[in-house]
Amino acid sequence: MADFEPKIVAFLCNWCAYAGADLAGVSRLQYPSNLRTVRVMCSGRVDPVFIVKAFKQGCDGVLVSG
Amino acid sequence: MTQKLLEMAGIGKDRLHLAWVSSAEAQRFVDVATNTINTVKQQGKLDSKAAAMRLEAAEMTVSSETIRWLVGKEVKITAKGDVYGRKWDVDKYESILYMELEREYQKNLIFLAIKEGCKSVRDVSDKTELELLRISYLLADLEKTNRVEFTGMENSKPVFAVI
Repeated sequence: MADFEPKIVAFLCNWCAYAGADLAGVSRLQYPSNLRTVRVMCSGRVDPVFIVKAFKQGCDGVLVSG
Repeated sequence: MTQKLLEMAGIGKDRLHLAWVSSAEAQRFVDVATNTINTVKQQGKLDSKAAAMRLEAAEMTVSSETIRWLVGKEVKITAKGDVYGRKWDVDKYESILYMELEREYQKNLIFLAIKEGCKSVRDVSDKTELELLRISYLLADLEKTNRVEFTGMENSKPVFAVI
């Protein structure tokens, strides 16, 4: 499983982690490209139902970051 | 709570990560992202077809009224007290939440197994890997809330169907 590339759905808060991710891009820090980002206005908006739905639709992991 | 549920559903809690990153911490975001990806990599691919029924049950559980009420009331009943004025400590609240979570999840799993054509308690047990006694116990609950009905005997075994 060495070259397995997981699909990860990332729920990022618009004001915190999304801006952090943006800054990481601007300052050209390298990070793996497995994340599929969903921008939310607050990480409190993320419902457990979204997480289960993400798994149902075939992703391998979920990251909630705020 | 969701991690507990994913653990129950056999998805594994290591597939769900939560982290706080401020907008100024680009390096921290990179670390969190890398860390998440590596942990998920170790878990291997999620076979969502094999886990479909368990995920469906998990989704029904987190959408269920009981669980959503219980989660929504957490701060109120642990800080101010419930409608009878009793204040619950956090440990007690959590143990009840997890108990209820397990019960709802197993009930939904049984419901789905019967929906998919398992008729007797033994069929359900083979499909869901739950104990026979636990299934009979939860079936009584499902019958009471009109989700499952007893349809008769087949080869001297009771059989059930969803409503």
